[in-house]
Amino acid sequence: MRTKESQAGDHTLSGYAVVWCRDFRLQAVKRRSGRSVPAALVDDTQRQSVVLCCNALAARSGVEPGIATVQALARCPQLQVDRPSPAAELAAARMLLETTLGWVPGIEETGPGILTLDLATQPSTQWHESASRLHDRLAALGLEVVIGFGETPALARLAAQAALHGGAEVWHLRREERLEKLDQLPLIVAETGAGLNEKLRLWGLQSLGAFARLRREEVAARLGDEGVALWLRLSGRICRPLRLAKLEQLFEAHHDFDYEVREREPLLFIVQRFLEQLAGRVAQTGRATTAVHFLLTFADGACHAKRLPLPEPTLDPEVLFRLVSGHLDAFEMKAAVVALRLRFEPSDPVASQKTLFGAGLKNRHHYEETLKRLRKIVGSDRIGSPRPVDSHRPGLFEKAPLPAELSDSHRSSQASHRDRGRPARPILPAALSQGAGPPVTGPSFRRYPLGFRTSVQLRDGIPLRVESSRLSGIVIASAGPWKSGGDWWHQGQQWERSEWDVELLNQGVFRLVETGSEWLLEGYYD
Amino acid sequence: MPVTGKSKSDALESLRRQLGRQIKSGTDLLQEREQKTIRLVTGLDGLNAALGGGLPQGQLTEIIGRGPSRGGGVVMAALLARARREGRYVMLFDIGAGFSIESFPEEDLESLLWVGCDSAKQAVEALDVATRDENFPLFLLDGRDCEPSDWKSVRAQQWYRILNQLRQREAVAVLFARSEVTSATKHRLELVSRLALDDLHQERETILSRARFQPVQRAAEDQEEQLRVG
Repeated sequence: MRTKESQAGDHTLSGYAVVWCRDFRLQAVKRRSGRSVPAALVDDTQRQSVVLCCNALAARSGVEPGIATVQALARCPQLQVDRPSPAAELAAARMLLETTLGWVPGIEETGPGILTLDLATQPSTQWHESASRLHDRLAALGLEVVIGFGETPALARLAAQAALHGGAEVWHLRREERLEKLDQLPLIVAETGAGLNEKLRLWGLQSLGAFARLRREEVAARLGDEGVALWLRLSGRICRPLRLAKLEQLFEAHHDFDYEVREREPLLFIVQRFLEQLAGRVAQTGRATTAVHFLLTFADGACHAKRLPLPEPTLDPEVLFRLVSGHLDAFEMKAAVVALRLRFEPSDPVASQKTLFGAGLKNRHHYEETLKRLRKIVGSDRIGSPRPVDSHRPGLFEKAPLPAELSDSHRSSQASHRDRGRPARPILPAALSQGAGPPVTGPSFRRYPLGFRTSVQLRDGIPLRVESSRLSGIVIASAGPWKSGGDWWHQGQQWERSEWDVELLNQGVFRLVETGSEWLLEGYYD
Repeated sequence: MPVTGKSKSDALESLRRQLGRQIKSGTDLLQEREQKTIRLVTGLDGLNAALGGGLPQGQLTEIIGRGPSRGGGVVMAALLARARREGRYVMLFDIGAGFSIESFPEEDLESLLWVGCDSAKQAVEALDVATRDENFPLFLLDGRDCEPSDWKSVRAQQWYRILNQLRQREAVAVLFARSEVTSATKHRLELVSRLALDDLHQERETILSRARFQPVQRAAEDQEEQLRVG
């Protein structure tokens, strides 16, 4: 019975797994149909066609890699023969990697159909259960794999080889029983050169366990570097770092059209199918997508590539379809399309906690779509959340993006009110003590877009009558002048002005501005 | 057995009496619907009182100031401040782009999306798009500088489509204008107060407390157009 200490030790044990797809090239070509019938891949690019690999059924009939195809067919008349397909291998490799990413994030593509997994992120108690689940999932996709566990990548690979030769699905080479387990493995499992194998066999060594029990100095003296490398692998003293696969290069779908496509509908049909496929593949890894890369290849050789970012990671096919179709609608195709490629940029799903009393946009995707459509109507420079700029020049503001979340601390203070260039207006203590609410100084000002040139009649330097194309009237009350200026340190941008607030008889309160030689009716208070 | 003579008229009368209790007239139904309308409380007593509790959700409300300095800008600022305090986003369609940032506290602008428009037609087109977005419960259309003729280029159907979208989203749209704009508006208020120079030194709350809202009677042609389009 295991003690608690040993169990706790197991939980923290780091280890590696190797997922090995048996006869990968053959499985890639005949994923669904290749198991029930004898099948082989042949290389017919040479003068004589030869067998590259075959499945277990064909091997039972005497077919083996390297023999002539004619000879293989003679040994197994039911043998199904196929050529290798790089495209099918690539698709199968992607599928293998993407499916395995649902288990752990750190994966190295060690070779065709071979993945090495860093299991440091998973408790060892769950390894076998996860391996079994992965095996079943890949089997459902038409890929037959074996899985080996070990304390180093090399030992995990050895375990996978042992599973391949022993016909097991999972093989675990535990640290505490390493030598006993190695005793069960023939030398061929170590994937060493034929020369070393022969030498060891002549020495009378039949298993890897027997070799691992030799002293390192003796191995080095008699077998040199190759022998020492094998000894170190078997002893678990070499733990190389993994070259982890980059997620950005995954989740891609590609379609070459058999005919030239000039309409959007066929493109959208393929796009929708791809989006659903890719969303499903990304979902299996527990991630979402943060951008869609869209690439069109045209008949004249030109390409159109665009990265379509999303406001927040999602896998909603409807949102993704609207994103791509919206781009396609706005894009003019100058030539027929011959190929389409879509790639998802994976990302961790949104895991932000909203503030307790704060509020935010209900649907950021919808908001971004609305923004795009509004920009088309009014122009991209005429939309945004107004923010003050660092200038005393009246009327200037910048358009910032609308925050996706509103802060819950809303203060309304007189200090933030920016009525610059003017003497401070009276502030009542009651207004200062308010937490929030409307600003406390006067009516709001509305500016005429260009201002109206105005003729102003003065008496003792104070406006008496105003006449302009917009309005004319007698001034019944006025306040000013409020002088301001700035940008004198920028050549040609210097400005200076005197403002007057005037109340015109039966018309309202307006702002007059004197800039050097002319008067302008700038706007009104409302 | 066929019903004839006096018994027939008695039966009809009896049926009318029964139906009279169960079936309501169209006017009754409209009144009930009006009473059930959820309202967005504005924090402005005068406005709330004139509108029966606040801005009706799913409706377009016109606030008319027949000239400068009637207080429309202060009302708009108050609506914006209230929306920010309640964590609501607001979209402002500024026809003529006369928005003056110094008239608003910086924190009130956090929830505001400003859309500068060249014309009334463009603003309504943008409003038509925006009202389909569930992120914005309040839309402000600032047409204070528009001439009455500017609104004629907007088709009546577009207003009714916007109204329908507002109903679906339970959003509120407020149109600030110098005169009556559309028959799609169910609630139309006129600001009859006038600001003076001394008001520049007043607190906004004081100005707002003095603002007087007066319901505007719907013109006969408005009602005709509503019947025709709606």
